[in-house]
Amino acid sequence: MVSKMSDSSNSDLHEEPESFVIEKQAQRRIFKIIVIGDSNVGKTCLTYRFCSSKFPDKTEATIGVDFRERTVNVEGEQIKLQLWDTAGQERFRKSMVQHYYRNVHAIVFVYDVTKMSSFENMPGWIGECDQHNLNRDIPRILVGNKCDEKDKIAVNTNLAQKFADSYNMPLFETSAKDDEKANHVDAIFMTLAHKLKNAKPMMPPYLTNHSRNFNTVQLGDSLQKRGLERARAEERNDSCSC
Amino acid sequence: MTAIEEISMIPDWFGNDFYSDEANKNNSRQSLKRKTVFNKSEKWQKIEKTLDQDPVDVSSLKQFAISPGGLLDDELRKEIWPILLDVDIDNIPPKPGIEILHGHRDYNQVLLDVNRSLKRFPPGMDENIRLGLQDQLVDLIMRVLVNHEELHYYQGYHDICVTFLLVVGEDVAFALVDKLSLNHLRDFMDANMDRTKHILNYLYPIVGKSNPELREFMERSEVGTVFSLSWLITWYGHVLNDLRQIVRFYDFFIACHPLMPIYLAAAIVLHRADEILASECDMCIVHGLLSKIPQDLPFEQLISKAGDLYLQYPPSDLAYDAILNFQMTQSYTKARSRNRQKFTRKKKTDKKRWFVFNQDGKSGFLKFTFWTVTTAVVSAAVIAYLRSWEWG
Ligand SMILES: Nc1nc2c(ncn2[C@@H]2O[C@H](COP(=O)(O)OP(=O)(O)OP(=O)(O)O)[C@@H](O)[C@H]2O)c(=O)[nH]1
Ligand SMILES: [Mg+2]
Repeated sequence: MVSKMSDSSNSDLHEEPESFVIEKQAQRRIFKIIVIGDSNVGKTCLTYRFCSSKFPDKTEATIGVDFRERTVNVEGEQIKLQLWDTAGQERFRKSMVQHYYRNVHAIVFVYDVTKMSSFENMPGWIGECDQHNLNRDIPRILVGNKCDEKDKIAVNTNLAQKFADSYNMPLFETSAKDDEKANHVDAIFMTLAHKLKNAKPMMPPYLTNHSRNFNTVQLGDSLQKRGLERARAEERNDSCSC
Repeated sequence: MTAIEEISMIPDWFGNDFYSDEANKNNSRQSLKRKTVFNKSEKWQKIEKTLDQDPVDVSSLKQFAISPGGLLDDELRKEIWPILLDVDIDNIPPKPGIEILHGHRDYNQVLLDVNRSLKRFPPGMDENIRLGLQDQLVDLIMRVLVNHEELHYYQGYHDICVTFLLVVGEDVAFALVDKLSLNHLRDFMDANMDRTKHILNYLYPIVGKSNPELREFMERSEVGTVFSLSWLITWYGHVLNDLRQIVRFYDFFIACHPLMPIYLAAAIVLHRADEILASECDMCIVHGLLSKIPQDLPFEQLISKAGDLYLQYPPSDLAYDAILNFQMTQSYTKARSRNRQKFTRKKKTDKKRWFVFNQDGKSGFLKFTFWTVTTAVVSAAVIAYLRSWEWG
C-alpha cells in the first residue's frame, strides 16, 4: 500500500496503531504538483524534460490535463512526484482544470521569458489558485522558461525577481530545450521535492491538526523564506545565462 | 425492454437496417455480437454501386460508414463524406483575405497549436509539403471561425481539421468542417466549456449501466472525466497515432449521433475494465492508465460495442443521470415524455433552463443540450438549431 498524504484522512491516521504508522512512513511518499501558466510557455516540455530526461521532439498542445510522474531520491528517501501538466488555453482552465487543484502539494507557475504577456498574466493565474481554496502556505515556485532564446528575452530577470519576491516565491529561469540546462530543470523540481519532504511532519500527531493539508502545520513564513534562500543559492550555483 | 422496442427507437440515420438485421437474429442484448470481419472488395463494390445510383441512397452510405471497415479508402471518403454531411462541394465560398483571417481573436492560439501539430502529419512526409499543409490548416480553421462569429476555437479543434485536410484537401475540408462545427462539434465551440463538460457526464451513466462495479471504482478514485476530454473533442484525432484508424472513426462519427464519441469512450473504458479494476484506486494512477489509449485495441469491435451501447442506453435514457452528475440546479423544460413526468414537480422559477435531447418528430434526430438561456429565447433558438440539424 502506498501512503497517500493528501487522501488519508487525519482521524484515520490518528487511530492507526503506532507500528503501522511507522511502517507507513517508510513507504514511498507521493507529492502532487500542478504546473500552470499560459499556453505555449513550455509546461509540457518542462515536465517531459524532468520525467523523461529529454526535450520532446514533437510537442503538442495539451488538451485538458496530462499526467507525468517520476520517483526521485531525496536525502535517502524515495519520493514520487506526480506532475499535472495543465492546458494553458483559458477555456480549459475555467472549467476543466479546477478538479486538479484539489489536494496538490505544490504549484509551479510557468511563464515564457520571451513573451511578456505570459509574465503579465501571472497575477491572474495566482489569483485563480487562491480562489481554489488552496492554502497559501503550499509551496509555489515561479519558472521563467525558454531562456536559451537569448536574443528574444522580453522579461527582465530583475522584474521577475521582484515579482516573485512579492509573492514569496523562488524564481528560476531555465530552459526545457537546452540540453545543458537539463540538470537545472531537475534541480528545480528537486528543490521542490526537498521542500515538500522537509515540510512534512515526521510524526503523525501533526496530522491531527484540523487542516487536511499536511504542510499547513509546519510551513510558516520562515520556511518559505528558507526555500527562497535555497532557491537563490541554487540560482547562483547553476545560474541561467540569461 | 425487448429487442423489438430497442429497434423501434433506432433513428434512421443511425443505420437502422444494419442494426435491426442483426438485432432480429438475436433475442438477448448480450448476444448482440457483430462480426467485425468483412470482405473489402465486396464492400467496395456495394459502395460503388450505391454511388452510381441517382439519387444516392444516403442511409445506405451511412450504413457503410458505420459497418466494419467504414468507408474503406480516402478516395471513397472524398466522395461520401460530403454526401453524408449534405455539403455542396461545387459551391464552396472563396477564401477571405489574409487580413480577415489573421485578424480573428483566436488566430494566435491557432497558430501556436498548428505549429505544434507535427505529430499529426504522416511520418516521412517531405518537410516543405508539411509546412505548406500547416499553412493550409491555419487558413482552414480561420475560414470557419471567420464564417461564424459565434464559434470559439478550442485546442483540439485543429486535430479534427487536420484530419479532414489530409483526406479531402483545404477547400472541401473547409466545407465539411464548417458544417460539422454547426452540428456535431457545436457544443465544444461555445465561449466556455460548460456544455462539453455536460457531455462528458454521460460517460459514467453508460459505463455504470454495463458495469456498475467499474463505475463505482472510477468514482471512488475521483478520476473524473477529463481523461476522455481529448477523445471527445478531437474525435480521437489527438490520441491515436495512425491516420487510418482516425479516419475510420470519423466515418463512424459523421454517420452517427453527436454523442457517439462518448459511447465509444465508454466502450473503450469497459473494454479495459479488468485492467482498471486491477489498478490502484487513485486519481493519478487511474487517470494515467485511462488517458493513454493502447494503440492496438480492437477498434472495429469497439465501434460495434459503442453502437450496441447507444441502442441499449440511448441518450434520452441517460439524460437524467447525466444531469445529476452535473450537479447543477436547473429546471427541466422539455424532454422525452417519460422524463418529463419525473420533472413536473420541479420549480419553474430558475432562470437557467435547458433542453436535453429533444426529439424532433420529423427526422427522429435526438437533439443536444441547451441551457443558460431563458425560455423565450430557447424556443426560437431550438427551432433554429433543429433546422440546422437536418442535412437535407
Ligand atoms: N526555445 C525554447 N522553446 C521551448 C522551450 N520549451 C518549450 N519550447 C517550445 O515552446 C512551444 C510550447 O511548448 P509546450 O510545452 O507545448 O507549451 P505548453 O505550456 O505545454 O502549452 P499548452 O499545452 O498549450 O498549455 C513548443 O513549440 C516547444 O518546442 C524552451 O525551453 N526553449
Ligand atoms: Mg502543454
